[in-house]
Amino acid sequence: MTTETAIRVDGFTKRYGKRLAADGLTLEVKRGEIYGLVGADGAGKSSLMKAIAGVLSFDGGTVEVFGTRIDSARAAEQVKQRIGFLPQGLGLNLYPDLSIDENIDFFGRLRLVPADVLAERKRVLLGMTRLDAFRNRPMRQLSGGMKQKLGLVCTLIHEPDLVILDEPTTGVDPVSRRDFWAILGRLLEEKGVTALVSTAYLDEADRFHRVSLFHEGKVMGEGTPAELVAVVPGTLALFRAEPQADALPRLKARFPQTEAMGTWLRVFAEGLDATAARAEIDACLDQPAHPVGRTSVRHSLSDAPTCRTEVRPTEAPPIRLTDWFAREPELEDVFVAMLRQRGAKLESVFPEDGLTPHTSSAPAIEARELTRVFGDFRAADAVSFRVPQGEIFGLLGANGAGKTTVIKMLTGILKPSSGFGMVAGADMRTAGWAIKERIGYMSQAFSLYHDLSVVENIRLYAGIYGLDDKAARVRTDWVIGMAGLAGFENDAAGRLPMGLRQRLALGCALVHQPQVLFLDEPTSGVDPIGRRVFWDILFHLSRREGVAILVTTHYMGEAEHCDHLALMFAGKVVADASPEQMKQAVTAEAGQLLELRVDRPAPAQAALVAAGFASAVLHGRAVHLLSKTADADLARLPGVLDAAGVQLQSVQPRPLSMEDVFVHQVSALEAAQRGTP
Amino acid sequence: MNLKRIVALAWKEWREIVRDRLFFALAFIVPTMLMLIFGFGLTLDVENLPFAVVDHDRTPASRDYAYRFISSRYFDFKGYADDERTIDRLLADNQVRVALVIPPRFDERLSRGEPAPVQVIIDGTFPMRAQTTQGYVAAINAAVSAENMAQALSTARGVPLAEARARVQPVKLEVRYLYNQSIKSIWSMAPKLIMLIMMLSPPFLTALGVVREKESGSIFNIYSSTVSPGEFLLGKLAPYVLISAANWFILWMLCLSVYQVPFKGDPLFFTLASLIYVVCTTGFGLVISMLVQTQVAAMIITSVVTIIPAVLYSGLLLPLSSLSPGASLIAHSLPPMYYGRIVTDCFLKGAGAAELWPDALVLAGYAVGLFAIGYLLFSKRPKS
Repeated sequence: MTTETAIRVDGFTKRYGKRLAADGLTLEVKRGEIYGLVGADGAGKSSLMKAIAGVLSFDGGTVEVFGTRIDSARAAEQVKQRIGFLPQGLGLNLYPDLSIDENIDFFGRLRLVPADVLAERKRVLLGMTRLDAFRNRPMRQLSGGMKQKLGLVCTLIHEPDLVILDEPTTGVDPVSRRDFWAILGRLLEEKGVTALVSTAYLDEADRFHRVSLFHEGKVMGEGTPAELVAVVPGTLALFRAEPQADALPRLKARFPQTEAMGTWLRVFAEGLDATAARAEIDACLDQPAHPVGRTSVRHSLSDAPTCRTEVRPTEAPPIRLTDWFAREPELEDVFVAMLRQRGAKLESVFPEDGLTPHTSSAPAIEARELTRVFGDFRAADAVSFRVPQGEIFGLLGANGAGKTTVIKMLTGILKPSSGFGMVAGADMRTAGWAIKERIGYMSQAFSLYHDLSVVENIRLYAGIYGLDDKAARVRTDWVIGMAGLAGFENDAAGRLPMGLRQRLALGCALVHQPQVLFLDEPTSGVDPIGRRVFWDILFHLSRREGVAILVTTHYMGEAEHCDHLALMFAGKVVADASPEQMKQAVTAEAGQLLELRVDRPAPAQAALVAAGFASAVLHGRAVHLLSKTADADLARLPGVLDAAGVQLQSVQPRPLSMEDVFVHQVSALEAAQRGTP
Repeated sequence: MNLKRIVALAWKEWREIVRDRLFFALAFIVPTMLMLIFGFGLTLDVENLPFAVVDHDRTPASRDYAYRFISSRYFDFKGYADDERTIDRLLADNQVRVALVIPPRFDERLSRGEPAPVQVIIDGTFPMRAQTTQGYVAAINAAVSAENMAQALSTARGVPLAEARARVQPVKLEVRYLYNQSIKSIWSMAPKLIMLIMMLSPPFLTALGVVREKESGSIFNIYSSTVSPGEFLLGKLAPYVLISAANWFILWMLCLSVYQVPFKGDPLFFTLASLIYVVCTTGFGLVISMLVQTQVAAMIITSVVTIIPAVLYSGLLLPLSSLSPGASLIAHSLPPMYYGRIVTDCFLKGAGAAELWPDALVLAGYAVGLFAIGYLLFSKRPKS
């Protein structure tokens, strides 16, 4: 690997009208690197990538690609033959009416690849991506994962020296995502190609050699994933504490980055090692009231109590801590800490509304054999699950797995082909308006009227649900308080930042105090701070108000916030358990996750698969594999790698992520399908 | 310019048009359909007007008078009505457009030589039709009066009827219509429809075809490749120009076969001028597509920019000479008027290059200008 520079960006600035999309970005990508741009929607990733690809002019700074300064259309033309650019949007740059073959041919001819070379490259790439069986299928009939792979093939067909891939994995299921990373890693390794790849998933950061963290047009940090995680030292503590509702506010007062994940608590103890973190947390829980000792680190925000109404210093019950785990933080914890250091607020104030929580022993939501058929396509296939009152239930799956179809049937928007759904005790096939008033629904598109102000939006929903004037006023104040919209009351909804807009939409869905809440992909495109505050609100709603919440997401990391999960794949529920149970089941079935650090990851992965470690996958510069017999495997691994000429640097056990779980479950299912055609 | 890239672009575009149902319909079905619908629906002839008669006199003379209308090809007799109230109802229901009311003592007054008033009630909702109708009524009435007078003269003076007729009408009009001998409105309308449809279809196809790529993001394949703007425009637009040229030919043939419009001009010049016009209107679509970002915006702007000039400022409905000076200036600054003149004169007047070369030249200037603007507006490195 040479150390020559492929891309050099200095002070890059881009405006769209008045909006500043990129504000003085600086970064450098070396040849042969897989460089990641990680950040939420609107963070400036796409603008920078387009500018580097020479397809967007910009306002300030310099961009240099392979030593050519991209400052005019003419200069951009000089390097375009060496660049492959895949714009954002799954398959959107492909031609839906053309077949896989025709799409690739078009890209090849556009780049003047000679016919015989084109045919050969096409054969190799289609083989690698396992698309060769579908060469004549029109692109519009491909699955998300296939579209993504076709996009990659079309981008690589002229063998560029640099590929620029804008969010290639957004909206693709974890299995296809993993597949994609494996193929990309192999291709880049073989051809020595440099890659600039963006992603909205923070947990994908360790797929890259080096990463820039983007937030609101600025680079927050740059380096290898390990270097970035080390920027804010600290310990991630995972434990249970009973009663959780009392433990949470106390911990939050001391550790702003405290989250409830089902029955677990997840605390990022900034600046503390594992022992110190345990001591502080114990002290925190033993103390009857806040604030607890501030020793090593002071937080600008930790002085303010977060949940004023819940501090009851006189009647402090004893809090019992169990199941303690301490480990190194994840990139997202560090990212949130960085944002907090720059003044981002993490707390949510949850106004008391003086209502008795919804209680009921009957399930709040129940799906029984829900099936929906469109033509000969089964969008939902005998889907069954139950959600008790006061629980957060997660419906996981890729785009097109059937999540939205299930929600639509449960809310009575879509009639099931067979089976039925019960919500708040009523059959949704026949339920009248009265029952719909007990349901809140927030759709993917945040169903807001962008030209109406914040208050007008809330009042509109209050009117739709028939609240009288007084109730509407009370609830409007409640929503503004809950969503942190004070000061934005008269702003048009369309001009709010993504996180606030999302919370306004949630407020509108809650204006009539529903006992059941449906959320369809509520956090798509929102930055980590916005997502945390949002989940905090959901947690309060479920625990304090007893609202049953059904939420869909394709962020596997978010799934851990749910009490219970159902995994959907191709219209079917393939697993239905708590996140913890799911992980335990996978560990029992497939073993422990090991991370191998090696000098040459790609040949290492190939050698491991050949040696029978079928689960071995590339993960940035590391290789991940599942091992059932860890001790025996640890003894075997160096030999296998040595034979392939790879040097093993270290082996570390890693906790399973929800993504690992999903990939394992679905891979097993796909294997079963292939076995019995 | 690299021919391979142009061919790759054109070939891809062609396959997309053929496979996408909406584009297929827009490209191959809509123009022909418009020609048939407008051709049969937009006839301006006033014929077969439904009418009724109220005859309060009920004499042979009154029946004779009414019969003059009944036997005319311009009127379609719906029957006798009892009174004016019935007529009101029939007019309100659109069952008749005209009614004659013959008063009592019609015959008596005529034979006494007194003026006999006859009331004519015309549906005035469509002024042009109402005026034409009044003209028909007046003409038939004049003929009846002249005939009556001739008969009276013949009996009083004992001259032969033919001579009496000649005396009653000393000056006789001999009208001959040039170019469109039987003044069939379809003869003048059908060629102008070619102008109208070729003003609508190519811009729509082109604007939607280009903006579709912007909307989906596939335009970035072009931006990020080494294709030059000229190659892109040629490859992208060639299929649209070819399809539109084919459509023009089909419309021409429809005029000749379905509407039986005679073609008297020079086919070679007409073909050449029409191809220039097709390129020119495709250029409209190109310029629009460079200015907007969404297909909806492209549709709206294309409708406004094409329909208004093609309908109002082209001589389609109103003769150009009857436009106000301002409107005439607008008409002269837009291409439809020039092609409207070419198409009408080629079909009906038998004109050719000798008479129409200035119009063809203006169109060519337009085509070059629009493509130049489109080329300049196209940037592979835009601001957003």
